[in-house]
Amino acid sequence: MTRALTYSALLFLSAMFIIPFYWTFITAVKNIGELYQFPPVFWPNEVMWENFVTAWFKQPFDVYLKNSVIVVVLSTIGQLFSCSLVAFGFARFQFKGRDAIFVLLLSTMMIPWDVKMIPLYMEFNMLGWINTLKPLIVPAYFADAFFVFLLRQYIMTVPIEIDEAARMDGANSWQIYWRIHLPLMMPALVLVGTFHFMNAWNDYLGPLIYLNDQSKYTLTLGLSMFKGLHETDITSIAAITVVLCIPPLILFFFAQRYIMDGSIGSSVKG
Amino acid sequence: MKKHLKQLAMVTAVASMALGGASAVSAEEVLRFATWNSSENLGILQEISKRFEADNPGVKVQVESYGDGYDKKLIAAFGAGNPPDVMYMWNYPKYHSSLMPLDELMARDAEEMDLEDIPAGLINITRVEGKAYGIPAGFTTHVVYYNKDMFAAAGVAEPVAGWTWADLRAKAAKFRDKASKTYGFAVEAKPDPYDYEQFFWSNGTRFIAEDGSTVDGYMNSPEAVEVLTMFAEMAKNEEATVLGIGDNTSGSALFKGSKLAMFQSAMWSKGGIDKAGINYGVAMLPAFGDKPVHSSIGASAMSIAKATKNPELAWKFVKFFASPEAVKLRENDLPIRTSVAEEMELTSDPIFQPFFEMLALSDRESNAFLKHKNWGKIQTNLERAIEATMIEKGNAKKHLDSAVARSKRHLK
Amino acid sequence: MTTLVVQDEVAEERHRFIEKLTPYLFISPWILGFLFFTLGPLIFSFIMSFYDWPVVGERTFVGLQNYQVMLTEDPLFWDSLWITVKFGLFFVPFNVILGLLLAVLLNQKVIGTGFFRTIFYLPSVISGVALVTIWAWIYSHEYGILNFLLGLAGIEGPNWLGDPNWSLLAIVIASLWGLGGTMLILLTGLQSIPKELYEAAKISGVPAWARLVYITIPMLSPMLLFTVITSIISAFQQLTIALLLTGGGPLESTYFFAMYIYDNAFKYFEMGFAAANSWVMFLIILALSMMVLKSSSAWVYYEGEMKKTEANDD
Repeated sequence: MTRALTYSALLFLSAMFIIPFYWTFITAVKNIGELYQFPPVFWPNEVMWENFVTAWFKQPFDVYLKNSVIVVVLSTIGQLFSCSLVAFGFARFQFKGRDAIFVLLLSTMMIPWDVKMIPLYMEFNMLGWINTLKPLIVPAYFADAFFVFLLRQYIMTVPIEIDEAARMDGANSWQIYWRIHLPLMMPALVLVGTFHFMNAWNDYLGPLIYLNDQSKYTLTLGLSMFKGLHETDITSIAAITVVLCIPPLILFFFAQRYIMDGSIGSSVKG
Repeated sequence: MKKHLKQLAMVTAVASMALGGASAVSAEEVLRFATWNSSENLGILQEISKRFEADNPGVKVQVESYGDGYDKKLIAAFGAGNPPDVMYMWNYPKYHSSLMPLDELMARDAEEMDLEDIPAGLINITRVEGKAYGIPAGFTTHVVYYNKDMFAAAGVAEPVAGWTWADLRAKAAKFRDKASKTYGFAVEAKPDPYDYEQFFWSNGTRFIAEDGSTVDGYMNSPEAVEVLTMFAEMAKNEEATVLGIGDNTSGSALFKGSKLAMFQSAMWSKGGIDKAGINYGVAMLPAFGDKPVHSSIGASAMSIAKATKNPELAWKFVKFFASPEAVKLRENDLPIRTSVAEEMELTSDPIFQPFFEMLALSDRESNAFLKHKNWGKIQTNLERAIEATMIEKGNAKKHLDSAVARSKRHLK
Repeated sequence: MTTLVVQDEVAEERHRFIEKLTPYLFISPWILGFLFFTLGPLIFSFIMSFYDWPVVGERTFVGLQNYQVMLTEDPLFWDSLWITVKFGLFFVPFNVILGLLLAVLLNQKVIGTGFFRTIFYLPSVISGVALVTIWAWIYSHEYGILNFLLGLAGIEGPNWLGDPNWSLLAIVIASLWGLGGTMLILLTGLQSIPKELYEAAKISGVPAWARLVYITIPMLSPMLLFTVITSIISAFQQLTIALLLTGGGPLESTYFFAMYIYDNAFKYFEMGFAAANSWVMFLIILALSMMVLKSSSAWVYYEGEMKKTEANDD
């Protein structure tokens, strides 16, 4: 009885969540006449699969894909590494100025990007990084506050006794981080990886500001170029959006399973 | 632990080296050219750039396209002192101090460029304090598109030259159909400011005094109130749908879906309508009674950054862009050269002719944004008044007065 | 680094020094990043806020004028701030509570939860620009699917984005579509709760709601704290959806504070003024977050907290 109720609630909710995706998909495969019909066409008369191919070859999307992959992979590695280190530092040590520094870290999440943009651009320009992928990758090696905060909260749910026991056995801080906490926070790391992947994959502003040459563009920048100042190529936007959703979705499907099966946590604790 | 940090540093270093390769210096001279064009229009620009490269060995034109993120990109680039060499420009009052004045170069090469062939009005749009900062690349005037099939089906006579808003309203009323959600015309509640400015002009008033000193008596003049009241009435009587109030459905989308019999727009809508396969005609803007009709001119022009390292090359490229050869390639814009327009028989083409007729009528006024440096903020107040009038479908006088009052602060 | 055997005082000292240094080494990536990429721009923007700083052209020092104009002359400052607060009052609790409910619901190991989790995360995968286009189609007054569906049920839907009474609510709903992220964070947090606690409670006959209130919520509180603080931040930085969906309208009913900053910077080119706006926004978010953080000692329970006084409580 409860189960039936739960399932129908879930089904109803997921119908609401799936509508946008469905709508994007059918928009991508409609022909131009059906695009503007009302009442809306819920299933196109003829599915125009070729719209995907057409959209993909309207711009050098293979080049954009390569750039996006480079950015996403390299920055995700950096983020995972640096954030787990920093989060461990904040969660497991008492040191002078810790709380003040932590507040400082939190506060960096609160600065609106509008005003950081120009000074940051100047800095990257001085470094000669404009029109390279570096501004999109290198900062990821210096720990994003959001993820540090997330991981720190996660680590703090792990009983301190585990650390103490390890220390008794002669482990040093690095070993505690590397051998005990890194495996323990795997679900949270997968989460951070997924989030960062999504952010980097969908980032529009960064590439827009820092990249000039089309050969350096990322996928989202290519996507946005279907939207001119006056006219919008709706079919191509929808088609590329659908394509762009696929890698993160696959990744997510496996990630969530991993997060859920990551029962390593309880086994160590027990 | 130190060892691991070292490893981390190594990874970073290796990664940045791998990426560094991308910025390798080449022997070519690179000219950066930024545009807001996208899709097909961008392809045309790339073609022009290629031809320029062919004529100028050792030069590479890097075409940078930013779509509707153009303004943001330009602000970051100019703000940080790293602008492109050549760029599309429209907002001269904001940027002119960082752009190269072109009058001397134009005077020097007037003959070679055959400047006589380019309507003076198009160059005047780029002037700030008397100096020209751009060479026109393309332009558009505003017109009314109408759906010929819908007119035929409804048995309504198509618009003729010299028509008035009263004519348009009478025609529009005949298309309204609740069941199929069809309308005769569309009124913008969140307009591109140019749209209303041309209506103000056509009704014999302005947004702001000629010398930019005041908006009182202009923005809220009886003529201005009349314009807004007319559009509000059209909305009230359902002669027109209202665009932009809680609805991103554009006039061109409705027109392409045959939900709209007429809509006011410019050259940039033409490509999409062609593609949608609508059988359409183009008419001039209607007049307010017997007052002379007037259109805004939307022009894109090419400007050169003051900071460019290679002004001669940049100028050469701009000249090439305005040459008959390049102008002919840019078929999605109206040609800036009279000779090209005539050669392509556009001035007698029924679709294109109204655009040129509007141009001939439209060199009497200049846009408000050229007249006051705080215009952006004043305009926000005006936009609010237009929106409020359309939502309430009336009370134009009250809202315009309030816009004038709110703007006092910015006119100091 | 092997365990040092204390042989003499020098080694002892060295050991202590390393011990002291270790935490700083762990957090050094962030410290360096802060020095390289954040501190400079921060100082720069602070200086900027005392200038009349157009994007191009002459910059003049104006002292506190930007702050004075914002607080005393520009009605939009207070209006936009109030709208943002209203938005936050809806958005933050809904985001956290619905996220929690979904997470608890989908934490069960039954068939299809993987599928449902993916569905709820779907909107977070779609890039912002496309998502907004979709919402525009959904909300469109005459041509939208929402009012089309309501029409089938015989209800005449409102002009969602065009009626100042509905627009803010419409933006709240559209923003909540991103719930999947919150759900996922809490779902991850649920994994670290020892299963034994639930089993013991079940055996003792504790009902499901009590398990939620007395086990799940306290054990999840560190993650809840995280979602509350980050929800507040994202409420204040809310921009993309409103900017693209309503442009702040109708009649500025969805004109958020972040949009006010955005307009001053990118529409009016007043970088100095925008910097001053940003600093005010920064201080407001900081104050709110500090309040939440301060209150957290009363309701957040850290299994792994290093509290010396409680060390022996077990």
